Amino acid sequence: MTCEEFATAGLDLGTAGEDGMLLQAAREHLRACPHCAALQENWLALREELRALGAETGETAAPSRVEMRLRQEFRTRHKTVKAQRAAAIFGWSLAAASALFCAFTWINWRTHEGRGVAQRQAPIVQTAGTQGNSSLVAASATPAGAELGEVLVASNDSGDFTLLPGSMPLAAEDATVVRVEMQRAALGALGLTVNEEHAGDWIQVDLLVGDDGLPQAVRLPQTSN
Amino acid sequence: MQIESRQKDDVLLKRSAKGDEGAFAELYRRHQAPLYRFAMRMTGNSWAAEEIVQDVFMILVREPKKYDVERGALGAFLYGVARNRIMKYLERAPRDFSLEENNDGSRETPVQLQEQKTPAHWAELRERRQQVRAAVLELPAEFREAVVLCELEEMSYEEAARALDCPVGTIRSRLHRGRALLLAKLEMLREVPKRANAGR
Repeated sequence: MTCEEFATAGLDLGTAGEDGMLLQAAREHLRACPHCAALQENWLALREELRALGAETGETAAPSRVEMRLRQEFRTRHKTVKAQRAAAIFGWSLAAASALFCAFTWINWRTHEGRGVAQRQAPIVQTAGTQGNSSLVAASATPAGAELGEVLVASNDSGDFTLLPGSMPLAAEDATVVRVEMQRAALGALGLTVNEEHAGDWIQVDLLVGDDGLPQAVRLPQTSN
Repeated sequence: MQIESRQKDDVLLKRSAKGDEGAFAELYRRHQAPLYRFAMRMTGNSWAAEEIVQDVFMILVREPKKYDVERGALGAFLYGVARNRIMKYLERAPRDFSLEENNDGSRETPVQLQEQKTPAHWAELRERRQQVRAAVLELPAEFREAVVLCELEEMSYEEAARALDCPVGTIRSRLHRGRALLLAKLEMLREVPKRANAGR
């Protein structure tokens, strides 16, 4: 072993679990080289001093104020994060609730609006049943003429109809009863006699409409003027 | 044992990241003392060491995701962060170290009179310790950290290598250089009084 090798590895001998051959070589070198023996002696003394210095402060720890400051920071940070999360959750919930409310209101409005339009525009028609009671069927019945006004609720039986001039009696199941509001004068256009004094009156009329869409018979409901 | 400890650190860190203050306190208590000693021995200043330890753990409070479990143990990560802070401190104030044994005073281990020795002996011993401490503080930082970890903290080369994130060979060579410098420095210090006495 040379002096350089001894300085590199030899100083750790006996403490770092070196292998036996190296230890033997170092011991032989120590016997042969007074310079390295002195170096080893100095190093062992210094090591003792370093270890003593280490032991002197071996139990030293950071003052408790460091822990207090860190814990304070920890609490502040996590409270802030929690508050931010809560605010975000509240905000999103509020937004979602508002959106739901708006959607619900809009759907509700649309539904009512649709019903109103249907009541104003689409005729509610009834297929005349063979035994008087019939089921309601919605259909896009075309009014018989421009003079036909708003369609009202039709009667639920097919009796008491007056055949229009030129019409043939219809089988009840082939006809549809349509209630309309019209001026009395319009009955004249259907071939009926109209009192001129009341020609401008608005009346409700049930029309028996055939498969061809033309009115075949007419009836004045009890409630009409 | 080490694996269990590491797993425990990881679990504690996860809990701490979720806001468990107890877990954070446990982590702090497990690691603060060696980090504080390392910082104090490297800087020679207990105030700086205190700041460094605080900075290191502040990272766990503010950015716990900076620690990647895959890259090693939490202890090594904390040593790495502490080391960076120490290097910055030393760059900023390279000569701003004190020879104080301990700024706190409260933690100083009292010298116990186990053997009957004279006051002159204790004064000499104290002076010698101060010389050793000063010599360590005057070592270049990379040699100093190897000496501090391996000689003062009595870590194995492998542990020191993990803490400093470098190969064991590097630790060996830095330690060798550090020892040589220390020996040279302390021999010079020893010779100064002799020369002074000889000159009279």
